[in-house]
Amino acid sequence: MKSRTLEKTQNNIGVHEEHPLGVQPRFKVGDRVQVRDMPYLFYTRSQMWARGVVGTIAALTYSDLVPEDEAFNVDGRVEQYYIVRFRQKDVWPEYPFDNDSVQTESPERWLEAA
Amino acid sequence: MNKAHNYGTDGHGHDHKAAPMVEEITDFEVLEIAVRELSIEHGLFTAEDHRRFTEFAESIGPAGGSRLVAKIWTDPAFKARAMEDPVKACLEIGIDWSKPTGFGTPSDYTHLTILEDTPMLHHVICCSLCSCYPRPLLGMSPEWYRTTNYRRRLVRWPRQVLAEFGLILPPEVEIRVEDSNQKCRFIVLPLRPSGTENWTEEKLAEIVTRDCMIGVALPEPGRTADVHPVVKARRPVHHEEAAR
Amino acid sequence: MSHKSEVDLGRVTLLEAMRGQGKEWEVLAPCYDVTNPNPPWKTSLTAMCDCLDASGALPTLDRRRAEDELAEAVYSDVPAPESQLLALVHTMLNHGLVSEGELAGRMRTVRSRLEAV
Repeated sequence: MKSRTLEKTQNNIGVHEEHPLGVQPRFKVGDRVQVRDMPYLFYTRSQMWARGVVGTIAALTYSDLVPEDEAFNVDGRVEQYYIVRFRQKDVWPEYPFDNDSVQTESPERWLEAA
Repeated sequence: MNKAHNYGTDGHGHDHKAAPMVEEITDFEVLEIAVRELSIEHGLFTAEDHRRFTEFAESIGPAGGSRLVAKIWTDPAFKARAMEDPVKACLEIGIDWSKPTGFGTPSDYTHLTILEDTPMLHHVICCSLCSCYPRPLLGMSPEWYRTTNYRRRLVRWPRQVLAEFGLILPPEVEIRVEDSNQKCRFIVLPLRPSGTENWTEEKLAEIVTRDCMIGVALPEPGRTADVHPVVKARRPVHHEEAAR
Repeated sequence: MSHKSEVDLGRVTLLEAMRGQGKEWEVLAPCYDVTNPNPPWKTSLTAMCDCLDASGALPTLDRRRAEDELAEAVYSDVPAPESQLLALVHTMLNHGLVSEGELAGRMRTVRSRLEAV
């Protein structure tokens, strides 16, 4: 359970990573990922603005259960959560500033390798 | 029943200025009590839980966050500990994220995350879906933070929203919006401003206001309060009218 | 891909009767020279929202999405925190957690109790 302090420092994120036994994160910091556009039954914590956008894993945060109504498979699996960072220009095509970014949290099942 | 002031003098001729109070019982106050009592009777929650969460809500404020930032600024070893495990570092400054249940409140969890600003990077926080907020460190969220006007616009037009708070940054500086949508709770670690060399932790904490830790303001010497444009009441009332 | 809104935006008579009376805190407090930005019941309201989430009776995300819609469609002219209170009660009525009749009755007895002091 070695912490990735240097990576976090380079990413300006102070977070305590938790990796309970059995959870094998699929992605690591720096990986390019795309947010899947998945249907949901009720309310979701996957924002519409992030759907289909390609970003970069900025940090691993914790492992947790994903709410059942987020997925077709009601399997109660514990999985890794990530902070994913996007360029604003990739989220909003007409965004006028090159350097700006936006980041948010995703469970692993919302992400696929880009 | 409509006394406007509680001022008076005591028997010794000293001015006895009690704090003014709103001396009427509004429908809103009555409604809050009524719905709460009915909720408890219907078993939606217990009176004990409500009391515990009310005490928690009354116990929190932004002082903890200010102390955390000031200590990070002045103590490099503490900073390393804080970036490694923010929740544990909070305990060192007297903030316990596990309160009041042992595992946090339902909406605060125990995953504090610190976003460190640099000269070329400025963070600002919102929760576009609801209004997640690091309450143990900053207290109750301000009303503007809860509005769709702030939450939806910050993700889309951060520079415009920041400008409305009086904060304008050059285009070279990266503005990074944190849309807090899961269990992590975020706080901005702003840059320590120049002109604060040799300041004590207490003096530094005074300029780290709530708005600086959300990211809509920058700390600076002499700035010890968050000031927002006064919102006019919908039906402005004059004192002469009220006294009738 | 998006869900249909399940928020009933129809007006609630009991709640409508409270509006426009000039009794919202931001209007009332200045009349009494009270500078506290929040009414005394705000923390109790916050606790109620936490409790409803903790017990599962009304999860935060559901409550906040309903509150957003109601704030725009029904209570746009009501300031905070009264808008939050009205939206919460409106949502609880929609979900059948309380009824308008029992609320009206309870409000009468609560007011009598408070005014008797």
